[in-house]
Amino acid sequence: MSKQGLQNQKNLPLKKKVREFFWGAWFMQANWNYERQMNTAFMYGMSNTIDRIYDDPSEDEKRKAAYRRSLEFFNITPQFGAFTLGLAAAMEEEYAEHPDTFDPKMIGAVKTALMGPLSGIGDSLFQGTIRVIAMSIGISLAQQGSILGPIIAMIISIATSAPITWYAGKIGYVKGQEFLEQLTKSNIMDKLMYACSVAGLMVIGAMVASLVNITTPLAMGDALQVQSVLDSILPKMIPLTLTGIMFWIAKKGVKPMVVIVCCFVIGLILNYFGILAV
Amino acid sequence: MFLLQCIGVGLISVFCILDSRILGRLNFERPLITCTMVGILLGDVQTGLLVGAQMEMVTLGMMSIGASGVDMNMGSIVGCALVIMTGTNIEMALTVAVPMTVLSNILGMISSIVRIQFTHMCDNYVEASNYKMARVVHSIYGPILYSLFNFIPVFLTVYFGADVVNAITEVVPEWVNNGVSLGANIISFYGFALLLSTMVNKNNVIFFFVGFVISAYSGLGLTAMAVISIVCAFLLYQLRYQDKPTGTTKAVESQIDPDYDELEDLDN
Repeated sequence: MSKQGLQNQKNLPLKKKVREFFWGAWFMQANWNYERQMNTAFMYGMSNTIDRIYDDPSEDEKRKAAYRRSLEFFNITPQFGAFTLGLAAAMEEEYAEHPDTFDPKMIGAVKTALMGPLSGIGDSLFQGTIRVIAMSIGISLAQQGSILGPIIAMIISIATSAPITWYAGKIGYVKGQEFLEQLTKSNIMDKLMYACSVAGLMVIGAMVASLVNITTPLAMGDALQVQSVLDSILPKMIPLTLTGIMFWIAKKGVKPMVVIVCCFVIGLILNYFGILAV
Repeated sequence: MFLLQCIGVGLISVFCILDSRILGRLNFERPLITCTMVGILLGDVQTGLLVGAQMEMVTLGMMSIGASGVDMNMGSIVGCALVIMTGTNIEMALTVAVPMTVLSNILGMISSIVRIQFTHMCDNYVEASNYKMARVVHSIYGPILYSLFNFIPVFLTVYFGADVVNAITEVVPEWVNNGVSLGANIISFYGFALLLSTMVNKNNVIFFFVGFVISAYSGLGLTAMAVISIVCAFLLYQLRYQDKPTGTTKAVESQIDPDYDELEDLDN
């Protein structure tokens, strides 16, 4: 019976299992599709676990059912995908051990429940905060002509992404459900979101003020230069205003390609009449 | 030699797409990194860095979540390669990148249709108990498809694009160049605004202004500001949560209410 396969799965060193979750997570988008998004990726991440548990040929039906379960709709921030993979693997083990009392539908339910919150925090953390900080440091060094810019940006990205993926997989497998309960109790998601938004937003503010400087050459003789008047009130006022206008446009949901093309046209006009300049 | 260079640029674009496909989006795909690689490949690191910084600024706000959003990564690679090959000004990179982005979006739609077929292949292999092939479809077919759909257009555009860019540069007058350059810089603000709109709400918009004001008045660079912002995040986190472990739940909940108009705070 199935006990042999389950034993093999349980006896496998933790490190090896976490390694599978890790690569399963990094391969999350290898076959992204409109129908079920990252479904084949989840299957890929789970396949080794399923194969080990149901390695006996007589259990092919159970194995197939487990594969089918893992091919349902799925979508997540890749790094946190490891957590879900780990948790689902632990639940598959539990199901194999108690096939009568454990409802396999639970696995799909937990998976689905995790997608939204984990993606929300994951995208804010990786794309909204870590990427922004890494790249803005990289940009400012690269603008000075230093190759260190891209190198430091990558070091920051890898040094956060890799360990987080690894530990997400480990925690998900070892104490996934316990961890989930703690999460909801201690509100850690909201706390993390708060810290991310403070750091991320401050850097975005600094980016507006320091990365691109657009000024106005408008003047009435030597007596009144508009730019120096603006500077004496609030430096970088024009960049701030432009960001405000763009924010409004972004909120209106105008298509990005339209905005990009319009920017070129507006740039040509404003530059021709000497209203704005770089 | 030229052919080899074009192939090299194509391979960089493959590496770029595979970053988010099989490396969990480590940021190798970002223009800052890929343009530097193009610069190294074509023997002009300085231009690569400058184009990379310029393109990165413009696109920093454009998050690519799943398939939505515009992805100018391919366009940046092509733009950077053509700027270095033809020796024109770096703003030309963006002018090239925009049509390239439209093209790669169309190609992306086509390849996504193929990937739906891949998903059905996976289903069928599982039904036929051929689990190994189901894995292969995901881990090998998928990445290969992505690679081809990036390599071929990038290679062809770089191979045939240099003459076009040269012809354009010769006939374009000075004021158009300056205007394009201004336009490119205005796009950067669109990027900032997009980024802002994914994170900001009524309660935290103040941090955007704090970052802006400190940087505008002090002239501190971004590296300094990044460190300051991380310190502030830790500090505020402690003030908010460490001292009073209970009783803050309600305040936090009201913070994530999505039904408000952020614009009211951003009128300027």
